[in-house]
Amino acid sequence: MDDRDLIGRVLAGDPRAERELYDAHVDRVYRLVYRMVDDPHRAQDFTQEAFIRGFRRLADFRGESALSTWLCAIAVSVTLNGLRTLKRAREREVGLEDAPAIGVRTVEADPDLKVRLTHAIDRLPNGYRTVFVMHDVEGYTHEQIAATLGVQPGTSKAQLFRARARLREALADFARD
Amino acid sequence: MDDEPFDETLQSAARAYHTPPEPPREEMWRAIEAQRRVDRVRGTVMRRWIPWSMAAAAVLALGVGIGRVSVPDSPPGSAAPVRVTGAAPAPRVNETAYRLATVEHLGQSEAFLTLFRASLRQGAQERLASGTARHLLATNRLLLDSPAAQDWRTRVLLEDLELVLAEIAQLSPEASAGDRAMIRDGMEHGAVLPRLRTVVPAGTTPTRGDL
Repeated sequence: MDDRDLIGRVLAGDPRAERELYDAHVDRVYRLVYRMVDDPHRAQDFTQEAFIRGFRRLADFRGESALSTWLCAIAVSVTLNGLRTLKRAREREVGLEDAPAIGVRTVEADPDLKVRLTHAIDRLPNGYRTVFVMHDVEGYTHEQIAATLGVQPGTSKAQLFRARARLREALADFARD
Repeated sequence: MDDEPFDETLQSAARAYHTPPEPPREEMWRAIEAQRRVDRVRGTVMRRWIPWSMAAAAVLALGVGIGRVSVPDSPPGSAAPVRVTGAAPAPRVNETAYRLATVEHLGQSEAFLTLFRASLRQGAQERLASGTARHLLATNRLLLDSPAAQDWRTRVLLEDLELVLAEIAQLSPEASAGDRAMIRDGMEHGAVLPRLRTVVPAGTTPTRGDL
């Protein structure tokens, strides 16, 4: 059954169709959200929220992109908003003297590339990080990223280029080796 | 620095970035399903209750209007005999209109509380529109101030219903389990629903257990 039929059934109020739609897309959405939040509880919350919003707004889906892209766009939006809220809450809780340490971990002691890379990706600005995770980690094309984030493919490429440059900078000693 | 080999190393290492565990599919689905059920109920409640509430208000207004028109003006100089003891009974047509409005209102309240209680059981009551409760509360208060409340049984039922509706109307999405338990206890201890069902003739309720 294609997306259009499934959407029609969901809009007609068929709860089984909702489950089918969920089953078809949940893994992809959850993977992307988890990569961005690295927390099972938050990944669960954001994924649920993305699907709830998706179902509520399904009547507005025009079919200009694939349903999976549309759902991922909602998931990315929910996740980035959630991360912003979380960051604001942490900034309120943490004193000024601790503020520079938010989301930043000392990397000098980690000899392993993967560990240092993880920390370096964590510290990328959200825009760069989202594109990097989608392209280099999850394997989305620039066209898919552009459709998901509502930008031009060129913007996605530029952001990926900058993200990689930042990572090279952060891991310069490894690059030299 | 030669970027290409390093980019390859980077990409290869990046695949391990925040490796996701198996998604908790069923757990997430249960939460989504519960919220979707509430969304559907909310949609149903809004679709059904807005016209019903408007109809009840219209019936009530009609009752008041009929009441005013039907009370005969006393001709000048011919004073009506004064009843010394007991309350004077309202004119008959007036009583019928108020009774109709009361039954209408109690029927709506019964259906609303039935839906609300079912949603309490599913743990999703906080999403129900408290607006419906507020609307019913307004009608309830009009009826309490009207001749409909002259019958003591009706008055007591309307008063008990008022308390329950007021609690639901104030229920916020962040309501604690204690708030929810209080409403449930209020409904159960006052036996509001069974009493409503006793008063409301069968077939006047728009929906039951539609969750």
